[in-house]
Amino acid sequence: MLRFVIYRAISAIPVLIVVSLVCFLLMWIVPGDVASEIAGADATPQQIVQIRANLGLDRPLFERAVDWYWNLLHGDLGRSYLLNRNVTDAVMERLPVTLSLAGLALALAIALGILLGVLAAVNHNRFLDQAAMTLALLGLSMPDFWFGLMLIVLFAVQLGWLPTGGFVSPSEDLIGWARSMTLPALTLAFTQMGVIARMTRSSMLDALGQDYVRTAKAKGLSAGQIVFVHALRNALIPIVTVTGVMTGVLIGGAVVVETVYSLPGSGRLIVGAIQRRDYPIIQGGLLLTATIFVFVNIVVDVLYGLLDPRVRHGR
Amino acid sequence: MRICQRSVLFRRIALAVALGAATALASPASAQKAGGDVVFAQSSNPPSLDGMVTSSQASRNITMNMYETLFGFDENIRPMPILAESVEISPDGLTYRIPLRKGVKFHNGKEMTAKDVKASLERYRKHGATAGLLNPVTSIDITGDYEVTFRFAKPTPTFIEAFASPRAPAVIIPEEETGKDPGKINFIGTGPYKFVEYVPDSHVKLAKFADYAQDNRYKGPDGFGGKKTAYFDTITFRVMPETGARTAALEAGEIQINEQIPIPTARRLKGDPKFAIYENKTWGFLTFIINLKQAPGDNPKFREAVQVALKMEPIVGIATEGLFSLNHGWQYPGTTYDAGDIGKQWYNLGDAARAKALLAEAGYKGEPFSILTDSNIPEHNKSAVVIAEQLKAAGINAVINQVDWPTALKIRLQDTGWNGWTLVMGIEPYLGPVGVVATLVGNTAHFRQPDPQLDALYEELISGKTVEARQETFRKIQARLYELRGIIKIGDVGIAQAARSNVKGFTPFRFPRLYNVWFE
Repeated sequence: MLRFVIYRAISAIPVLIVVSLVCFLLMWIVPGDVASEIAGADATPQQIVQIRANLGLDRPLFERAVDWYWNLLHGDLGRSYLLNRNVTDAVMERLPVTLSLAGLALALAIALGILLGVLAAVNHNRFLDQAAMTLALLGLSMPDFWFGLMLIVLFAVQLGWLPTGGFVSPSEDLIGWARSMTLPALTLAFTQMGVIARMTRSSMLDALGQDYVRTAKAKGLSAGQIVFVHALRNALIPIVTVTGVMTGVLIGGAVVVETVYSLPGSGRLIVGAIQRRDYPIIQGGLLLTATIFVFVNIVVDVLYGLLDPRVRHGR
Repeated sequence: MRICQRSVLFRRIALAVALGAATALASPASAQKAGGDVVFAQSSNPPSLDGMVTSSQASRNITMNMYETLFGFDENIRPMPILAESVEISPDGLTYRIPLRKGVKFHNGKEMTAKDVKASLERYRKHGATAGLLNPVTSIDITGDYEVTFRFAKPTPTFIEAFASPRAPAVIIPEEETGKDPGKINFIGTGPYKFVEYVPDSHVKLAKFADYAQDNRYKGPDGFGGKKTAYFDTITFRVMPETGARTAALEAGEIQINEQIPIPTARRLKGDPKFAIYENKTWGFLTFIINLKQAPGDNPKFREAVQVALKMEPIVGIATEGLFSLNHGWQYPGTTYDAGDIGKQWYNLGDAARAKALLAEAGYKGEPFSILTDSNIPEHNKSAVVIAEQLKAAGINAVINQVDWPTALKIRLQDTGWNGWTLVMGIEPYLGPVGVVATLVGNTAHFRQPDPQLDALYEELISGKTVEARQETFRKIQARLYELRGIIKIGDVGIAQAARSNVKGFTPFRFPRLYNVWFE
């Protein structure tokens, strides 16, 4: 297993090199630059040229690329043009917010999604199946910014139970953190829950029709044992795959929810940097996000191995 | 050089102090209550809290509660001394002697002296976002512990008016901070609130400055100056980009003041006693700029057709969701430089038939007319859509090119690649005629092609010795703008702000004055 993990980690390196190159080149292609943003609408071309020179943006692309990779090899992602701080610090400061949000949302989405999917599969073509799949479809099709605002209106404005937004660090106040993350996590989880529920239902329907389930029934095992111990375990592989991809989506795509709930997460940091062309933050932020994505994929591969010995033993 | 005679300008500023003392926003002393944390929500992060290096409104909201300038504008947009005691101008207009207020403390406890002032202004020359304000000043000399003297190569009668601009304020900071690069200073000012912390995308926190030196020449706050009293223990500026979330937070009582609310929301909350709604109809000018270097906009007849084709009411009405004023003028009605009816006959016509005839006269053959706009500022993209439809109705092949704000800023600096550009002039109209016209002259004119007549009139404006002379010049400028049609005035844009009704003493202004404001 250790060899398998090491092999997967090494094979991730070329992926990250390509990602870093794409991040760098994208910024070169996109029109507009941070100098215009700093200088404002009434700046003279001379002022913009001066700012570009101060920031080193007038240097040849190759020279800047060499610098970028050299610094990267030394663990230095550069310094933000606008935040006046190291990119690593800026991103690392935001990651706990995004990871809290994505982690809680993922836990909720998995728990609710699997529950709904199993319920639907076990009650195939009955009312509960239809109801569960309607709920899943609702989650899939509801825009999260709208759903988020509706939750705010209900739980924060009308009932006053939870805050409208903002982030409380768990190290300061654990209950405050839970309160601040409840609505954002619910919003983000609801959409993803739909995906997991549908995937679980179809996998479970497939598994429940297999011979080993019939054998288990013949052996007189209880319905619970058949569904949760035998069928669900075999149905989990596609669910784990979807969950792995979803983790990346949640980390990278939490920006809408972060915006609605005014959470200072890494998604808002990167999108804000894109809007203002703060290249070091964009490059560094995307690279770190990609690294997390690759890491999650390694974890998913390891989970495959745990769930299915054929993967582990290379069969 | 000895100052031998006080000038007209000095008398005017002295008058501003006297008037300010009488008209300042004084409140009944018994009503005020100290304490509490007020939460002000705004839509975006301040790009910097280094007050002089940015002209962003998001920064100004915060920094103008932390820092102060030598001069600023009073409530009626006339220059007034703030950290300066006064100004005495020599008869030849080449020397300005500026005594400073004594006993003014920085947030680090140090007293402000002439050394800090000189060092701050020299830094402004290097890093100030509108450093050009100091171009007429050849040297800034320390002529006493509490006195600086500005020297000029030629008289610049409008200097103090320009220098008082809050756009990128020439704030005074301690001398030891002035050698640092933009954004790298410790945020130390002389204002009633001092910096505590900034967490980007979350909040900025300020705290009451206990040793704040009040300006006792006034009874209360007046414009950017006056007698300021910090009642709140702390101020939290929360960064909340989502409009609906800001409204919800106001309704839930989590924030007490909302920088800007949508007009329909303002109407909904207006009758609710829990909220106070403030409408400011003179927030900015919505304009449509034409690239004079790119066909078909290079043809004066074509531009005349555009002017005639546009019906301003639907454009500005849709762009602002209803809070607007129709105004053909390039100053606000009733202000000092209001040029009256000049150009009014060309405004708000919406005459497609006449526009078609003018297009035929111009020899227009249906070339694309690309309207540049951005996705970040709703007034820009909404107005672009209505303008495009009106131009199409007149037979112009209008197409919209919507990009993000940094891209729009880059494209509009090119001579080609765009024909029209929608822009809200925010603070420029507030700054007066020089603020507006400065963006339309020389090689940096918004419409790309400098106009020698307009350039000459601008020089006449900034060197006009009396208000009457400058008023006359501005009338000529407004007439010229309606002849040139490189920029078309669409209308005056308003904004609505909201506060919880337990917030007392708040009056809307160019920035949220959170001093002399308290909780009931």
